[in-house]
This record gives sequence, structure tokens and C-alpha cells, in this order.
Amino acid sequence: MVQTRRDFLKRTAALSAASYLGMLLPFQDVDNALAADETAWHRGSCRLCGVGCRLELGVKNGLPVALRGVPQSRTNMGYLCMKGMHFWKLMNHPERLTTPLYRAKKSDKFKKISWDEAMDIAADKFAGAVKEHGNDSVAYYGSGQALTEETYLFQKIFRGGLQTNNVEGNPRLCMASAVGGYMTSFGADEPIGGYADIEKADCFFIIGSNMAEAHPVIFRRVMRRKLDNPQVTVINADPRISLTSRIADIHLQFNPGTDLALLNSMAYVIIEEKLHNQQFINDYVAFKKGKGDTIDFEEYKKSLADYTPEKAATIMGGKVTADQIREVARKFASSKGTLSMWTMGLNQRKQGVWANNLVHNLHILTGQLLKEGADSLSLTGQPNACGGVREGGGLCHILPGHRPVEKEAMRNQVEEAWGVPKGRIPALPGLHTMAMFSAVNEGKIKAMWINCTSPVQSLPNCNKYNTGLAKDDTFIVCTDIFPTLTTELAANLVLPTAFHFEKTGVYGCTERRSQITRKAIDPPKGAKPEVEIVRDWANLLAKKLNDPVISQCIKPFAGLEPEYALPKAIWEEYSQKLTKGTDCDLTGATYEVLEGMYDGVQWPAPTAEYAKTGGTVKKFVRGMDPMAETHKTDDKPYQFYGAAHPDHKLWIWARPQANPEEIPDGDYPFYLSTGRIIDHWHTMSMTGRIPELLRANPYSYIEVNPKDATRLGIKPGDMVEITSRRGTNIMPAKVYEGPIEGMVFAYWHDQHPDRMINKVTMDAIDPGSKEPEFKICACKIKKVSGPQALKPYIV
Amino acid sequence: MVIAGFVVQCQPQSQQDTVVALEALGQVEVFGADEKGNIVTVVDAESSADLEKIVKKMEGIEQVLNVGLTYLNVEDEAKKIASGDLSPNPFPRKKHWEKLN
Ligand code: SF4
Repeated sequence: MVQTRRDFLKRTAALSAASYLGMLLPFQDVDNALAADETAWHRGSCRLCGVGCRLELGVKNGLPVALRGVPQSRTNMGYLCMKGMHFWKLMNHPERLTTPLYRAKKSDKFKKISWDEAMDIAADKFAGAVKEHGNDSVAYYGSGQALTEETYLFQKIFRGGLQTNNVEGNPRLCMASAVGGYMTSFGADEPIGGYADIEKADCFFIIGSNMAEAHPVIFRRVMRRKLDNPQVTVINADPRISLTSRIADIHLQFNPGTDLALLNSMAYVIIEEKLHNQQFINDYVAFKKGKGDTIDFEEYKKSLADYTPEKAATIMGGKVTADQIREVARKFASSKGTLSMWTMGLNQRKQGVWANNLVHNLHILTGQLLKEGADSLSLTGQPNACGGVREGGGLCHILPGHRPVEKEAMRNQVEEAWGVPKGRIPALPGLHTMAMFSAVNEGKIKAMWINCTSPVQSLPNCNKYNTGLAKDDTFIVCTDIFPTLTTELAANLVLPTAFHFEKTGVYGCTERRSQITRKAIDPPKGAKPEVEIVRDWANLLAKKLNDPVISQCIKPFAGLEPEYALPKAIWEEYSQKLTKGTDCDLTGATYEVLEGMYDGVQWPAPTAEYAKTGGTVKKFVRGMDPMAETHKTDDKPYQFYGAAHPDHKLWIWARPQANPEEIPDGDYPFYLSTGRIIDHWHTMSMTGRIPELLRANPYSYIEVNPKDATRLGIKPGDMVEITSRRGTNIMPAKVYEGPIEGMVFAYWHDQHPDRMINKVTMDAIDPGSKEPEFKICACKIKKVSGPQALKPYIV
Repeated sequence: MVIAGFVVQCQPQSQQDTVVALEALGQVEVFGADEKGNIVTVVDAESSADLEKIVKKMEGIEQVLNVGLTYLNVEDEAKKIASGDLSPNPFPRKKHWEKLN
């Protein structure tokens, strides 16, 4: 019988799905002629969320024609979500930027210019700013979606070349509190374990995360674990009932911002019922308060006295009972392995670092750490917030390889690796994100490079910062693949870049795993990879500033073709010279090693031989982590070598419940929280251009609890005005038993000026991590009309 | 033509009902299932938009817990987009700079 192409593809699709289950189908060998299909498969990572799913892009005649999962991958075991499946449509999208655009004034219209003109203008403006206003008048604002090679090269040119630490990125808005939590609790950034714990965990504690929509493939793994093992308990703690809550055995719904009381109360119960692990505490733990003063166990215990389950239940708003808190604490402490997972619900808070500390406390107290199935795992939002920004030097206070800027010896190591004079890197950290955009408002930043992100939409209280971004005081370059609200409002110069799979580079996902994506198709004519753009720009800068040190920064990369050789050389310099010997040692993870793997390498991975095994599944465990051996200080099985804890201990922190910056009052009686929806990604510049995703959720709406809706006369679809002390939105109501009574919730993706919720959110920051409190502010709502026909809006 | 392979996950005890419900959607073919509630499913859709609609319906089946994509072929659609016969753009517009000038 003749097999049609349709039959062939259907059988291929069935075989792919069956292979995941080890299931044999009666047609294992699809027709040979068709099997010799001319589709070439290129392995890489998904472009979207921080899960780091591995997939292969099928390319035929230069076009992306197919996608398939990589079943051997330890991140996703081959599964992909629907959001991840559509990104191929962005590759030949008609709205892709393909030519540099320039306008001298932001009120002017853009004009097409040549690449030569564009690079000259960019170099001229940055050189001019440095000459006239000093090194700190320039700034870089990058992204957790940029490749590690890109972030690394940008920061090298800014720090080593232009001598400023004004190097920041949007992970400050999402992950900075997780960094602060890991540093202060464990002495080193990033999780001890990873996804492998999911299949071993007996208790999941999911707090401040709607992973069903934000991390769908991780959610799938959790669900599979629960289905296969009915004894597994899933606890979901969140003020909003979400798709994630539907698999929860226990859902704790509390008033926003009261979860510190919950976490302290769980610790109270654990100690009261003697469920803590005294031996683990004796061996490995120190107790701290305030800025790091040492206390003892008794003082820590005393600090919990105000958090009896009864008191905590009251603080939390009364929907959670004291017995539920007790039950949850018992399950957390006594399961064979407890895995906590959280994301922005804890991080985007004025008390973000404290909230992270309090989750870590529970793991340290109970010893639910360092063993199979137990970990305190912060999920990353973006695909390369960990790899590029946290590890590659993309924040104002961190140099590549987790090196703090303020330590002279660390700066000197970097200077030596770069071959630039000692003292070239400034001694003080640069401006963190919110300070950087405040400095734009004040006209202090004269030239700024914004790469692969849209702060006009993504900054909290954005009206305030957009005033400065719109002014001509700051010359702004944007590198991106599509127009965004930032290119429209703030940019003088827009440079079109290559997209994922149109260039080569590494992403590092949530679980310390670095994974390579090689170029598989050509970018649209006119678009270039960022590494080429930065190298060319630095060349011109060196001439205009007559500075041989800038030339030195790019000397190792001179003349290399930008599609593979250039990013490879950048990765080699970074991994071999700047991660060697650090806790994020990627020396063994060369391009050759990464290309040979289905997934990638979890650091530390000091040798290629070791990296080929996949690297370190659990940090700090002797026998599993090579650095636990080389840095051991005694014979104990766990060795905490993190540089931030000279005592080599884990630290339990006494941290009180503390309110968010704004809590509802008579004028603004509701809590407002914001988050993601499954179909969209961030500012929708990508997903809003994919018809299937746009149609699924064309515009944002405000979720209102049915009791509040009845009280205010709001019906489904009614137009509702949401006002805070900072701004106003109008969007349709979704009356829904999601947010707790007294709280409303909106998605933050919508670009329409009426529905851009960051006009309403709050820009108070965590004093430690400098991460803003996107998740909680006070607002009022009122119905302004019945349902109205709305149009989606993409700039 | 857009062809996609999925592992659809449901509660093991509702596997038979789920298979019936999936096949009732049309354009959905079930190739097998295991005792854990994993169902090997192939969708033969007209377009990505059609596929998205079918997947939403699959996700809407009460017993379905997760729809996990394993394979996707869009070669017809990719060719049409490349030749300009189909726009992947929700609201087709001119090139950005043309719009601005
Ligand atoms: S879960 Fe995240 S990384 Fe995985 S396919 Fe979906 S969007 Fe991509």
C-alpha cells in the first residue's frame, strides 16, 4: 500500500509519543523512502520560559517545518507545552525588524539607515557621553532571555571598556530576591538540587507560583509524580486559586503578604512537635538575625513565639485554620523528601529575600535538603536569567563567575583574565535597575543600551519611569527582533537582531544546567547576532575614545565569523578563564561537550569527562559534587563551600512577618496582584504576533472574586476601572473564584495603554535584593460600563 | 496540514472514557494507551489555528490532566508563510519602518 506523506507524518507523530512511554506500535519502521526525509533536525532549547525544555527544530529548504521534543533530556523528558510549540512562527515573521532605524529626537519618525551609519552613531553617542559626563553616564540594561555569550560580552565592554558597573538586566525584576535568599541562607547562589528531585519527592510545597501556567512542563512532572504515587502530598500556598491548585491536596489561601507568618508558624510547629532534625542542626547550622548577628537555637525559637498556628491563621486573614498549618508543617517535616518550589509570588516583594529565607529555614530545620527528593528550589522565569545574568556578570554588583564587584581580589581576577590593567573595573557596584531608571528620569544617564527587553512596559509604576525614558536627555539604543513599546517611546536607535536558532549560544536554566542551541536557520536579511553588533561597536568605541584597553577587550574575538566561531570564543573565555575554580565552574562544559549532549551540564563541572555525565545533580554533597571534595574542611558528608558563608554553615534566619509597602485602606480597599497567563510571554512582543496565542487571550482582564463582584455590582465582562495611587487601567472583569476576597488579579502582558497593569503596580523595593514589589499593592475598582468590544493591541 | 503527536495524561481509571472523548472530537486518533493513563494521540489539523482549537478541546475534556506535545509538523504552513500565501500576523501590517515613514 502506498503511504502518503500525511500517513507518514501521522505515524511519525504517533511513534514519537509512543517512544516516550516505551510503547511499541505495529509500524515501528515507517516507510524507508519517506524516512529518508530531507528534514534536518537541530537540537536546542525552547526560547520561552525558564524550564529549559530541549527540542529539535526540523529545517527543510531553509525553513523551520517541524519541532519534536528530546525524550532523553533531563529537563523535559521530551515534553513541550503549547506556548513553546509556536515559536517557529517568529522566524520568518513579516514584522521582524530587518534594518537599523534612527531618529535624533524621540518625537521624530524613525528613518532607515545602514548598519555602518548605525554603528557609528551608537559609538559616537556612548563615546561622547563618557567624554563629557564621565563613565557612569552610560548604562546597559539586558535580559534573562539574552544568550550567555551576549550578556557576558556586553558587560565586558561596559565594565572593562567603558569602566562602569552600570550593568543590569530584567532578572533584577524577577530573580534578585532568590539570589539574596540563596546567598544569605546557603552561602552561595542557585539551588542545591534540581528537577531530578521531582520524581523522588513525597511532599511538594508550592508557594507563590502558578507553575501550571508559568512552568507547564515542570507542572506536568509534578502531576505525573502524584498520579503514580498517590501517597504524595501537594501543598499549594497562594492567595489565588490557580490552575496549579487543582492538583493540590491542601490549598492554603491567605491575604497577600501574610505568608511570612505562615512560614514562621510552620517552623513553630516543627520545633514545638520536635520534628526538627537536631543532628543536622548540630552539624551544619548557624542561627542569625538582623544583618547577620549570630544567635542560638533558643533565641531563634523565641522569635517564633508570636507565630502560633492560631495567631498566624488570624494574621493570614482567617481562611486558613490553625489545624491546617499544623498539618502542613507535619507533612513538610516528616515526608521522605519535601521539595519546595516558588517563583515571583515570593520574589517580587518588598520582603522577597526574607520570604526566601523563611522557606530555606524550613528545609534546614528539618534536614529536607541534600537528599533525594528534598530541595528548596526557586523556579526561574526566563530561559537564561540564571546562566547569563546571575552567572555571566549581568547585574551591577556581580562579575562573571558569581564574583562580588566590591571585592578587589575578585575584580583583579577578572581584569587579569581580560588582560586589562588592574583597577580598570570600578570598585563600587553600579546602579541597580530601579536606581538606573531613576537616574534616567534625573537626566544622569546620557547613553543607555537596552537589549532584548521592554522596560517601558515591564517596570513597575511605569508611568513614572516612562517620563524619563521619553526625554531626549538619554540616548537609547534598543537591540530586538520586533518593535516594542520601548522601541517606540524610548529608542533613538533600533538595531535588528537574530532570533533563537538563528544564532549560536548557551542558556542556563533553573537547575544550574547550561544547554547549547546552535544556529539552524538564517536570520532575516539585515538582522545580526548581538555578539557581532557589540564587537563592531566596541571596535569603533576604541577608536573614538582612543582607548587601547577597549581594543584589548575584543582582541580575542577579532575576525571570527559571528555565527559559531565568535560565540564559541566568547564562551571559551568565559567558561575557561572566569568560571574555573568558582562554585559555578563550567570549565568542563565546552561547546564540544555541550553539543554532544541531549540536554546540558549542571555546574560545578570542572572537567570535560565529568561534564559529559551531566555534571552535579546535588551541590555540597561529597560523592556527588566534586567541589565538596576539593573544598572539604572536615569529614562530614556535606560541605558548604559557598563564599558568602565563611563558617561553612547553612544559616537559619529569624525574620518577622512584615507588611508589604501598601496594604488596603479606606481609599484603596483591594489588594492587586499580577502574573502570567499560559498563552503569553512577558510583554507579548513575541506571543502577541502568533495568531493562535493571541486569539486564545487577546487582552488582559481583571479577576474579581464573586463575592466582591456581587457587592460592587460587577458582572462578567463589565468594564472595570482599577486605580492605585500611581495609575489607572480599564479592562473587562472575569468574575471568578480565583483571588481571595478583597483581592483582584491581572495579567501583565497587554500592551494597550488602558490595560498596561504596570501603570498601577508598585515600585517599592526589597532593601536587600532591590527587587520591586510587583505582586502586591493597594487599589480600588469600580464598574465603568457593561461589556465592550475590545481589540487586541500590539505595537 | 498540521500534524502533531501528544501524550495525553488522565487518571488511570478514566482512561477508556478519555479515549472515547478524544476520538469523538474528530481529527484526533488514538494509537495506544498505558496503564498509567498516558494516551498516545495524533491530531491531523487543517492549520496551527485549527490545532490550537483542538488542543483546547482536548484540554477541556474533564478527565484530561495534561496534553504534552512530543512532535509537530507544520511544513505546509511554513511553505505558505515563506511564499507569502499565508500571514502569520494577527493583524497584517506594513513593515515597521514603512509604517513609520
Ligand atoms: S515549559 Fe517553558 S521551556 Fe518548556 S516548552 Fe513550555 S515555554 Fe518552553
